[in-house]
Amino acid sequence: MIPKMIDVKHLTKTFRQADHKRDLAGTLRQLVAPKYREIKAVEDVSFSLDRGEFVGYLGPNGAGKSTTIKMLTGLLVPSAGEVLVDGMIPWKQRTQYVARIGAVFGQRSSLWWDLPVIDSLELLQSLYKIPAQRFKSNLAEYRALLQLDEFLGSPVRSLSLGQRMRAELCAALLHDPKLLFLDEPTIGLDVVAKERIRRFVQHINRERETTIILTTHDLSDIERLCKRVIILDHGRILYDGLLQTLVERFEGEHLIRLTLVNSPQLIAFDGLRLVSSDGIQAVYAYDHHSLSGAEALRKLQEKYEVIDFELVRPSVEETIRRIYEEKLLLEPPPGS
Amino acid sequence: MRRTVILYFKLIGIQIRSQLEYRVSFLMDVVSTFILNFSYFVALALILERFGTVAGWTLGDLAFLAGLAEMGFGLMDLVFSGFDPDGFSQFVRLGKFDQMLLRPVNISLQVFGSRFLVRRLGRFVEGCVIFGIGAGLAHIQWTLGKVLYLPVVLLSIVAGMGALFVVGGTLIFWTVQPVVVVNIVTYGGNELMSYPITIYPRWIQGFFTYVIPLVFLNYLPGLYFLNKPGLLDFPPIFSFAAPFAAALMLFLAFQFWRFGLKHYQSTGT
Repeated sequence: MIPKMIDVKHLTKTFRQADHKRDLAGTLRQLVAPKYREIKAVEDVSFSLDRGEFVGYLGPNGAGKSTTIKMLTGLLVPSAGEVLVDGMIPWKQRTQYVARIGAVFGQRSSLWWDLPVIDSLELLQSLYKIPAQRFKSNLAEYRALLQLDEFLGSPVRSLSLGQRMRAELCAALLHDPKLLFLDEPTIGLDVVAKERIRRFVQHINRERETTIILTTHDLSDIERLCKRVIILDHGRILYDGLLQTLVERFEGEHLIRLTLVNSPQLIAFDGLRLVSSDGIQAVYAYDHHSLSGAEALRKLQEKYEVIDFELVRPSVEETIRRIYEEKLLLEPPPGS
Repeated sequence: MRRTVILYFKLIGIQIRSQLEYRVSFLMDVVSTFILNFSYFVALALILERFGTVAGWTLGDLAFLAGLAEMGFGLMDLVFSGFDPDGFSQFVRLGKFDQMLLRPVNISLQVFGSRFLVRRLGRFVEGCVIFGIGAGLAHIQWTLGKVLYLPVVLLSIVAGMGALFVVGGTLIFWTVQPVVVVNIVTYGGNELMSYPITIYPRWIQGFFTYVIPLVFLNYLPGLYFLNKPGLLDFPPIFSFAAPFAAALMLFLAFQFWRFGLKHYQSTGT
């Protein structure tokens, strides 16, 4: 059996938080006789990743995503459970371990603010002990793929956000990490810049077989890049599996937009719910599990004279939002 | 070891180059640091003009002692800027410390290389000037021993005071915000070392002898340079204890640092 890239078993992280009233008396009492509240940021999380997987790690704010990532990168020691990444325990052999991973945090910079980009990259070469030949060939490749040449000599502080992210990606990959953590890599970027970043990380994943864990709130990133998603809420895993399966099960009603010949009196019927109507325009919704788009259209055409129509599926974003908001995954799947 | 030295100088080099990006502000910092600290000395000189001596120490003696302390502190402030609680607190809060933990290089080395405030040379230069004035006024009889011991004392002050910065920086792992009490022993300790310890109440003398042994770093070696008899409970041989006291302080400080790092990795911020 090929060993897993990441093997996480029953990972738990509990924080102690000072528990006191936010007034003077409460603060003083806390100094004399401190009271703490236990907060479970991550609770009994288990999953494993194969080499070369590209997985999306999702969850609302405070779900425990960044706490998990901190444990996987060795920044934080868990309260309980095991983590084995590429055969190593992240927080035990820090320097050896971090030489094999890369991380890009969209909200932070790992480059030296006042120096030209190229100087930062060269310093990273020394810090990671990258052999000159490797450094040269990697840099050449990334320069071409990320189009770094236009700003390689400019100080980091003068780069646009998109340029900076491209430089950050290059910086995180110069030492050929086997595992890459991406945290909000496209945050704040325009459509073109986003697409460029996505194409690049997809290339890295495919060509170099780099295992990638992506955390983001931008579900179009996930949709575009990850087959598999892990969804976390309140520190626990809600779902771990194919994005496709998740969408099929939890996708909300599909919509059908109609343009009609005249403005008839519209009603709901036969599993078709009237969402809105405005003159000759109308929108119906239907449950796609029990009715196909073709059937829905046929039923509508039998009743009304349709000139034009459009079928609309909810976006993955809407589906995932529904899962969080309605706590859909907390109930056991039907029939189990 | 070689790699450590090379990396250290690379990191420092980057810091210096970054600061030179802002040349004007850099020069103004150096000059103002110099003027600010030198003005304290001028005030002292004016007071002494009226009163003559402090506990039997002339202006020359005092300038020698204060100059030594200032030179040491100025150098320390430069070399240990990374551990300076005020700067280090920012570092932790902005997540830059986490970035360092993600790099395959010894963490203390990275902290040393993370900040190198060249403008603090102003304080070192000011210390040199006062030291020069003091050495001249006090008519020091230079011997080979004194010439050789002087750099040892200077490095001991750097290491010993640096240890206090390391302790202050380590506390950030618990408090995130800098702890003001630490400034009392670092900056306050430096002020205190600029005068003969005998002018202070017994409990302060005791504190800076047995708890934070600053008296071994400056005052006791000072007695040797100035050919003064010791007034404390220490025979003259203790004038040579500076490197030992400093080494012990630095060793303990880094033990505490490692303990703090463990705590940080189990709690985060």
